[in-house]
Amino acid sequence: MRFVNSQDYGFSTMTIGGLVYKFTCLCYRSLDRVFDIVYWPVISLLLWGFTSVFIASTSSFSGVMEFFLGGAVLWSLFWRAQTDVGTFILEDFWSRNVYNLFASPVTLIELFVAIGLIGLIRCILSFLFLNFLAWVLYAFNILDIGGTAIAVFTSVLLLFGWVIGILIAVLIFRYGLRIQVLAWSVGFIIQPFSCVFYPLDSMPGWVQGIAVTLPSTHVFEGLRYAVATGELAWPPLLLSFGLTAVLFILSIAYFQYALYQAKKLGLLTRFEMA
Amino acid sequence: MGRVVPRPVFTPLISLSSPMALLEIRDLRKRYGPVEALRGLSFNVERGEFFGLLGPNGAGKSTTINILLGLIIADSGSIRIFDHDFAANHVAIRRRMNVAAAFTSMSGVLTVWENLVVYGRIYGVKQRPRKIDALLERFEITDLAKRRLQHLSSGQHTRVTLCKGFLNDPELLLLDECTLGLDPDIAEKTRRALQAVQQERKTTVLFTSHNMNEVEELCGRIAFVRQGQILRVDTAAHIKRLIPHQVVEVTFQAGSDLTPIRQLQGIARIEPNGDQSLRFVLDEPTRQLDPLLRHLTQSGNPIVDIHVSRPTLEDVFIKVARGEL
Repeated sequence: MRFVNSQDYGFSTMTIGGLVYKFTCLCYRSLDRVFDIVYWPVISLLLWGFTSVFIASTSSFSGVMEFFLGGAVLWSLFWRAQTDVGTFILEDFWSRNVYNLFASPVTLIELFVAIGLIGLIRCILSFLFLNFLAWVLYAFNILDIGGTAIAVFTSVLLLFGWVIGILIAVLIFRYGLRIQVLAWSVGFIIQPFSCVFYPLDSMPGWVQGIAVTLPSTHVFEGLRYAVATGELAWPPLLLSFGLTAVLFILSIAYFQYALYQAKKLGLLTRFEMA
Repeated sequence: MGRVVPRPVFTPLISLSSPMALLEIRDLRKRYGPVEALRGLSFNVERGEFFGLLGPNGAGKSTTINILLGLIIADSGSIRIFDHDFAANHVAIRRRMNVAAAFTSMSGVLTVWENLVVYGRIYGVKQRPRKIDALLERFEITDLAKRRLQHLSSGQHTRVTLCKGFLNDPELLLLDECTLGLDPDIAEKTRRALQAVQQERKTTVLFTSHNMNEVEELCGRIAFVRQGQILRVDTAAHIKRLIPHQVVEVTFQAGSDLTPIRQLQGIARIEPNGDQSLRFVLDEPTRQLDPLLRHLTQSGNPIVDIHVSRPTLEDVFIKVARGEL
């Protein structure tokens, strides 16, 4: 069996429908999956909302709500996308379903399209809920930034979230459940370097060197630029979108390679029996 | 001085090409570091056959099944299923086969019905509700349809796994220890259901189990695997003949004088078996049984019980596992 096989790119809508049905059932049958659409994003929104209100009332810093609340709402989108890929893959490890799933005719493309679809729905739900809450509590509506800006920001963050999620899934396939904590914790490692709540040039030089390589940094820099000028900083945004798209394709290829290696080493069946 | 390697009594009896073969495995090899799990394993499974794969733990049965499912990639060798090369057509082939393995599961938080719908869609099954209903009824678990999988007993879980295995009317079904942990009553019902569905649908089954009675009852042919190689492929009846001797246990009335009988060493090997009982080991039963019984009746000692033990598949299995065959 070769590493690259044209069959792995086969596509059946019925199979994708089956996987989406499974993920949907998992969402409504598992309270955790409902809870995590709302809980952490709301905590973050409340935290940064009250911080914004306090700063706005004690300083002349303009655009503070957009600065912090916009960052909190958009970051929740990235976090949701990233953790969903990891947890949907982990669900199959937890329930010892990896064996049956990978023994079935499911292709990688079908698996990722299904995870992407359900992840997208969950991201949209989470995003709309948070935006509604921000509007009710703080009279802040991120959609005021403009449809194009939102489309660009969310696309980059979603894709980048999936890239990180896929890389975590690769590690899970290689090392098993002992590294499952990465599914939730990697986002917190990336956040300080993504300039979510502070500008890039406020950070030390060496940190800036790391930050500019992250597509998420350009989104949050772009958000602040858009709030300040009412315009989009197209060159860095397009660059980060292109970079994320390339990373996305590479991460899927890497996942396929990791799966091939797991099959060569017999890891899939060992995890199942562990 | 060269090492003396004991020659096994078994010799491979494998037809290397058969027009009826649905599954053809040739010279399959797999190594995990220093461990050679499969060492040139080859066998055929005919269309519609219930074929058993037997062998001690670590013999290579599960590795073979996992390679057939695409979960492990072999180092070398070839697999043809439905007359297609498996490596080049594994997705299309897997659509026409299925698996039920004891140690695996499906999504625990989903109900039985939801899990079967998921796999029904994945395998492209049409008329799913009707088919799922029929299978649940066949395996007597209709009442479990709305129960979450994580709340089922191991016996119930096994039957759900079998329902999933038959969901797409597979042409080839791999059953790996699929009745493990079932109580005798449920195991018997499961075997009945398994046989009935297999015969109705003419499913080709590759079956592994450590329950020898089950293997003997279900499988037309059996392949013995040891140290990653096929030792013999044959029917259970033929395989049992590899242990030629029979044991006759005779119990005599209390107070019998067994001295003259103990002198029958020329007819059979005699082992003491208590005060009034003797064990006669017949290495050539067809030649030895008749003279033995004549001598026993002529000795004048009343016989109160007689028991003839023939070698079982389990006896053969144990000898294979210990390298004695």
